[in-house]
Amino acid sequence: MPPRKRDKKSASPSPQPPSPKGKKRLKKKLPSSSDSPTRTSPLWDSPLGFFLSPFRPTTTQWGARYMYVSFALIIRAAVALGPYSGFQQPPMHGDFEAQRHWMEITTALPISKWYFYDLQWWGLDYPPLTAYHSWLCGVIGKYVNPEWFELDASRGCDAYGLKTFMRLTVLLSELLIYIPPVISFAKWTGKQYGYFPTDLSISAAAIIFQPALILVDHGHFQYNSVMLGLALLAFVNLNHQKYVVASFFFVASLCFKQMALYYSPVIFAFLLGLCVFPKINLRRFISIGVTVIVSFGVFFLPLILGGGMDQVKQCLIRVFPFGRGLWEDKVANFWCAGNTFFKFKLRYTSEQLQMYSLTLTLAAILPVMLIVFFNPKRKLIPWAFAACSWAFYLFSFQVHEKSVLVPLLPSTLLLATLDGNVISLVTWINNVAVFSMWPLLRRENLQLQYFVVLFLWNWLLGNFEPSRLWTATLPKSIFWRLVVIGFYVGMVALQVAEYLYPKVDRFPDLWVVGNVLLCAPCFALFWLYTLWNLWDKRGERA
Amino acid sequence: MCQFIMKYSVYELISKYSQFCPKTSENVTISHHLPQLTPIGILLSPPIYAPHLSLGVQYTRQLNVTHLKPRHCAHSRTMPLSLTSVFVAGCCLKLLLFSAYHSTDFEVHRNWMAITYHLPVREWYTNTVSEWTLDYPPFFAYFEWVLSHLCPASVVEDGALDLVAKGSYGMPTIAYQRITVIVSEILLFVACQWYVNSSVEDRQNLNTKGSHAGVTRKLSTIKESKEETEDADSSLSEHPELAATKTKPTAKLRAFAVASSVVLSPGLLIIDHIHFQYNGFMYGIMIASMVAARNGQPLLCGALFAILLCFKHIYLYLAPAYFVYLLRVVVIPGNSFKSLRINFRDTVLLGLIVVGTFTVCFGPFVAFGQLENLKSRLFPFSRGLTHAYWAPNFWALYSFADKVAVTVMKGRGAVSGGTRGIVGDVAFGVLPNVSPSTTFFLTLFYQLLGLGPLLMKPTYARFVGAITYCAYASFLFGWHVHEKAILMIIIPFTFVVLRDKRLLLVFIPLTISGYISLFPLIYTSAEFMVKILYTFAWFCMYFLWFNHRLVSDHRNSITTREFLLDRASFFYQMGFVPVVALSVILDGRPNMEFLGLMIMSVYSAIGVCGSFVAYSWLYMCEPGMWQ
Repeated sequence: MPPRKRDKKSASPSPQPPSPKGKKRLKKKLPSSSDSPTRTSPLWDSPLGFFLSPFRPTTTQWGARYMYVSFALIIRAAVALGPYSGFQQPPMHGDFEAQRHWMEITTALPISKWYFYDLQWWGLDYPPLTAYHSWLCGVIGKYVNPEWFELDASRGCDAYGLKTFMRLTVLLSELLIYIPPVISFAKWTGKQYGYFPTDLSISAAAIIFQPALILVDHGHFQYNSVMLGLALLAFVNLNHQKYVVASFFFVASLCFKQMALYYSPVIFAFLLGLCVFPKINLRRFISIGVTVIVSFGVFFLPLILGGGMDQVKQCLIRVFPFGRGLWEDKVANFWCAGNTFFKFKLRYTSEQLQMYSLTLTLAAILPVMLIVFFNPKRKLIPWAFAACSWAFYLFSFQVHEKSVLVPLLPSTLLLATLDGNVISLVTWINNVAVFSMWPLLRRENLQLQYFVVLFLWNWLLGNFEPSRLWTATLPKSIFWRLVVIGFYVGMVALQVAEYLYPKVDRFPDLWVVGNVLLCAPCFALFWLYTLWNLWDKRGERA
Repeated sequence: MCQFIMKYSVYELISKYSQFCPKTSENVTISHHLPQLTPIGILLSPPIYAPHLSLGVQYTRQLNVTHLKPRHCAHSRTMPLSLTSVFVAGCCLKLLLFSAYHSTDFEVHRNWMAITYHLPVREWYTNTVSEWTLDYPPFFAYFEWVLSHLCPASVVEDGALDLVAKGSYGMPTIAYQRITVIVSEILLFVACQWYVNSSVEDRQNLNTKGSHAGVTRKLSTIKESKEETEDADSSLSEHPELAATKTKPTAKLRAFAVASSVVLSPGLLIIDHIHFQYNGFMYGIMIASMVAARNGQPLLCGALFAILLCFKHIYLYLAPAYFVYLLRVVVIPGNSFKSLRINFRDTVLLGLIVVGTFTVCFGPFVAFGQLENLKSRLFPFSRGLTHAYWAPNFWALYSFADKVAVTVMKGRGAVSGGTRGIVGDVAFGVLPNVSPSTTFFLTLFYQLLGLGPLLMKPTYARFVGAITYCAYASFLFGWHVHEKAILMIIIPFTFVVLRDKRLLLVFIPLTISGYISLFPLIYTSAEFMVKILYTFAWFCMYFLWFNHRLVSDHRNSITTREFLLDRASFFYQMGFVPVVALSVILDGRPNMEFLGLMIMSVYSAIGVCGSFVAYSWLYMCEPGMWQ
């Protein structure tokens, strides 16, 4: 029974979970506890569990799946009713205009001009798969209404129908590419540990309702779900030991958005480890290598055919803009937060900073790579990807506030567990991430959507039920309890203060800086937590 | 090397397509290993080929968790059947709909707030500053008066209470009025929760299956099929919980399913929370009156219905059913005609209650001498037979027949008909014109037809059935019916649908055609996904839930006739996919918008009319269903 286990755990005199002793003892218990069938998801008494309870008696969960996927789409469609980034904000508009513009240029121009055309107006700066995706959407859109994608004439177009069309493309892309692997991932995890089928539905639904992605993709407007979905397909195929397919999907993800690079060290180390341990498997190594090269070739082939190697070079220059500075806007990572106390940008040149950033990032991801290389176990996948991508987010160069979605994905996948501690911390870090995007969302008038979606997710996971507060919402250890409560107090204080005093004349960025300073340590702590867990779980049988 | 990769990919290709084979037990095991490869495969894999929820047995074996189940179930608690969670989740969606489209009804209600705020009661029904004059009964005006006085200062500044011909307002007004809809809808939730909480096992549920006449009649035909199902079920009986699901669900659970399906109704979402109206709380009052009737409080039932009539007079259409029910339960109670006698005490009480309610409501206006004025406001017969968009009723079919006849006979010199304005009169080209009195007498005739059985046996089920019947009659044959009135049929119907599987067969085409015919209300493209997905999810959820778990099937078998009707209904439902697609495609084209709307309303009208015929049959000829 779960309560008894928890009692024992909390009774043991180890307040901090990252103390090796307490963990070791736990580890010995874990195999028996994960085999034990009496455990159910800690979310079973949350509203989400309540909604899925009609499906509890059935062992097939397809009815439940219809439900939560439909309602996830409904919520997304409802969020999509709101404004988008750069809505009626000339001269440059925003990401929505960028995506529309790419549809315009990819359909109107030959491939050789895609990466060269008028770079000042949202020049294409994502890898080729985004361009093809834009082309596909553009072709369909031109069929619906050619005026939306008239070359040059349609700049800053904010037609009513265009918004609907663009929102629909995001929704469909997400439905086709992101949601299926999430379900599959939850299913695999459940089967691995022998969970009850309803619990799988609960975790899959919890992952799908993740607020950050909904707000960025359907509120702010981007196609992150495609990149994340392709990466997830890679994870899922790794789970099912289909390494060739996994590497194909990973390359696809990389060719959609370069942000997938945050995952690449782990997947590299993981696949390499699989080729080396337990014995060297040359055949696997070569087949994976060939797949990677061939898939890159396939994705870049139209570029080469259309514009030669110049085009590829230009594409790479556009994709990796090292001239753009250490970070954009205000982002809750090491550099931006540290900059408040220690002016990096004034003390060092851009080249020096690039160097430091590279060194720090490498140092941060090296342990992850080593652990994964020596222990290529499928159970470690979400922990490893989370640890690695958090390191990138915290230390690497040119990070957006929206980049938080990348580390957030593997972290959210950890919800597919029966461990209440992990669930409570993952929920918390999701809230931190959503809060870290508050300045962005506020600027785009998505306040209503922000509050509703954030509330909905937390309420669904039972975070607003007083009876669950001490047992499930907050983690077990005192340290984490303090951190989590501290964050929530800070978050509420900042939001209330900002509501009461929207403008402070002496410090125009006061609330944004406060946001960064509150979120960055949380991210760093969570990074350490994932790193610790990765180390701790490395020995467990997969 | 290449061979190796080929082998890999071929293997995956095969496994991918193995999902598309018909589902046999072997196939299940194959596809179960490999659904992860294609995104579409994962979404589609089991559902399409698993027509019953109870197919779970195979899956259990694969998962190898069969042995886990009983222990797991041992500490699975029974969920409290509370609508609070439904309300909170619904609120989240409804809050997000703030930025959605709203119709002119929004401005109508804003104007009514302004009228009731600024003017003395005497001028409420005479003011014509805006074209959206007050045309609901006085209780609704009082309600608007309350809302206008609760208005926060920031909303007033925004222009919420400006008494002008055309209001100009912004987000604060929208937010305020939308919130008033959400808050007033709590009444509906309360009424539904009352329904759930006061549900007790009814007699029918306790009866054994064999006692029903239908069973003995069809016993021979059942036997074979029953043996098959029992064979499959034998593996289930090992597990207590699985076996428990096979037994009849409790009355409370059934009541919860009904209640939640009403509060989550896509009709209410579309009409109240996107289009903008205040139907939610009024249906709450109506449901409360039905619950009062069931709980043996007919006086309360009458009082609530009187109040309801003073909020919105469209419910007058249901008044005959209430009248006859209260007549038989309060005024002349007793089952057999021999023991009939008048119960004076309750009759006087009921009369006092009803007269009192109407006095409070209309008294002031009678005192002002405005009764005539009020009447012309509430019953504007100057409008046409059909609304600009045809409600899916008998007149839609009639108008359509006229259009077809005009087109056919054009070559022979017939006048082209069907001229209309927004609220103008309708003239037919070939078929005879219809006068208001014709529609009135048709409606009355059908309503009286439905009241006969209620007069004989005034049971609760009969009562709800008669309400549904009256709503049907008025919707199908009434003058200037709005498509929104379909809720008046669907909502009472929901309260009886779980009594018999055959009622469900009638209910399904009715709800599908009724709710889909509401789609053109929200003609803007942005809300398209919300309305489609929400309606789809609602259908999936409740039809599965009702069909596989909750409906009490007294007979365990169906006749050939029912089977054929069921198939026909199924194909009819599938037909909505092309119809909706067609209306979307035609929507953007010039001169073609009305064609799309016409196809939609005529096709829905077939469903509503067909379900009325089937419902009348069950209502009149199956007395066992209504005990």
